[in-house]
Amino acid sequence: MSQPPAQVVGMGTVLDHVRTPQEVLRPHVVEFRNVTKTYNAGKTDEFTAIRDVTFVVEDVVEKGEFICVLGPSGCGKSTILRSIAGLEPQHPATSGDVLVLGQPVVGPGSDRGMVFQDYTSFDHRTVLENVTFGLECLHMPRKQRDELGREWIHKMGLNVATDAHKYPHELSGGMRQRVAIARTLILKPRIILMDEPFGALDPLTRLNMQDLLVKLWKEVQATVFFITHSIEEAVFLGDRVYLMSNSPGTILEELKIEPATSSANEMQRQPKFLEAVYYIRDKITKLESNQ
Amino acid sequence: MNFSFLDRLLRNWLTLRKPVSRLQAIGLGVACILLCLTGWWLITQGAAESRLVGPLTLPSPAETFSKFSELWNDFALTRNVLVTLRRVSIGFALALMVGIPIGVTAGCFPRVHAFLSPLIMIGRNVPLAAVLPLMIFIFGAGEKNKVMFIFVASVAFVISDAARAIMDVSARYIDTAYTLGASRWQTISKVLVPLAAPTIFSACRQMFGLAFGYIMLAESIKIADEVGGLGYQIQIFQRRGFREHIYLIILVIPMVALVIDQVLAWIQRQLFPHLYGGDGMLRSLVRITLIPWESMKSLFFYRTPVSLPSVATEERPK
Repeated sequence: MSQPPAQVVGMGTVLDHVRTPQEVLRPHVVEFRNVTKTYNAGKTDEFTAIRDVTFVVEDVVEKGEFICVLGPSGCGKSTILRSIAGLEPQHPATSGDVLVLGQPVVGPGSDRGMVFQDYTSFDHRTVLENVTFGLECLHMPRKQRDELGREWIHKMGLNVATDAHKYPHELSGGMRQRVAIARTLILKPRIILMDEPFGALDPLTRLNMQDLLVKLWKEVQATVFFITHSIEEAVFLGDRVYLMSNSPGTILEELKIEPATSSANEMQRQPKFLEAVYYIRDKITKLESNQ
Repeated sequence: MNFSFLDRLLRNWLTLRKPVSRLQAIGLGVACILLCLTGWWLITQGAAESRLVGPLTLPSPAETFSKFSELWNDFALTRNVLVTLRRVSIGFALALMVGIPIGVTAGCFPRVHAFLSPLIMIGRNVPLAAVLPLMIFIFGAGEKNKVMFIFVASVAFVISDAARAIMDVSARYIDTAYTLGASRWQTISKVLVPLAAPTIFSACRQMFGLAFGYIMLAESIKIADEVGGLGYQIQIFQRRGFREHIYLIILVIPMVALVIDQVLAWIQRQLFPHLYGGDGMLRSLVRITLIPWESMKSLFFYRTPVSLPSVATEERPK
């Protein structure tokens, strides 16, 4: 929309201006600097969820990265995600800096959309009203937001005519998560935080949802943080996988994964895919036995 | 053969929590009423001296119902019922208008709740019989003291129930609203209140029944020339020894309560179709009235055109 009037000359393009350093040296999408979160500090039930977590997610031009976070249960994966989202009580961190696009996180906002594992559809709103909730909060006129909402309901593979006016309790778990994803993506967030969004779905629905997510993610080009317990899911979806240690969690290893070339079902049979999965599984098994 | 039929019947009827059809439910209810009436008739039949229960304690059904026309005509039953109803309704509506906003605020902000909790505590445990004379001192004789009595009797319960309902909405809905860009006020008005509304409604529906009981107490005192209401009538009949009339009023009150409760249940179903199914006529009505309000707001308050945060790629240098 706000594209500069670029002139195409053969295989080159003349930009409307000479690029400045500020444009090229873009701040990192997410940056954790020695972040520690301790609950009930100083009391007997003091608990450190994450300790000294440092990592960086670069802004890759024209592509948001898909980052999966894996680790034994209770290792502070959700703490990292909710710190980025700016949700209490994980936010603010006890010490260290959480930066998003170079700015410290001060609170939640629609630039960091979140999809939860629990079904968090607003029960009193129809599917369409759920999907357009964020737009309503932006005071977008009804006609405009309903149009956009229908478009997204269609994109999520739901039937606009029959499903748009249903209430969440009339939907299956997979459909509810589609609604939850649609209402997040409709706001075009820069970062999408997903806390085991497919954890409660049956395996087949899960594979379908993975394919759908990859397709939509390429379209919206956001950076995705994806927490999961499924190593296959992490290796299939992720450009990068962060492996976390036991509580108090730290990031143990960072893996770079080749992008998936085919659908979830096919991809997950290839030997190189399985090799990566077995490597991570051995690591996590070792971690859990040390617990 | 006969035994197995009985066995099957019992199994069928006494299956744990097996739903019962509407027709059967009504039939069973009618059977209960008939059984009670028969029992009443049995213990009060025959001449006055030979009855199991004497007529001074319990008049027979025939004696009781024969006084109905007297109650209806000479004692102006409908007018008294309506007067009583009006008092309860006004007092309770006041309690709702004051109690729900305060309760919602207390539910949203624990500090407000902590501040108000002593008052709620006192309000819930206040001895109502002691409040009644106070109401007469403060508001004088007449309508006002009765309405205010109902208000005082129910407002603390409305506040605490509304606060409880808001607090019981799961925190994940607040998190979700925040990450979708809702402000605090939007989270309250678009998420917390609508999600708590069904709970608040059913709590108030139950409380209305209680308020209907309190009004009998308030009406037992009549000083000026206001219409007595059902409560005062019971007092009169007691003084005059009109047992039949008292029993009739005791039968009339549940009937009135039943009708009101059915009306409230209908409103509840139509307001919250996501819980009770149906087409949600009242919900649609509420939404239709809100649409012009919303457009008006956008005319006056939000003149700046709405723009979405642009897609990531559009911001980036190419």
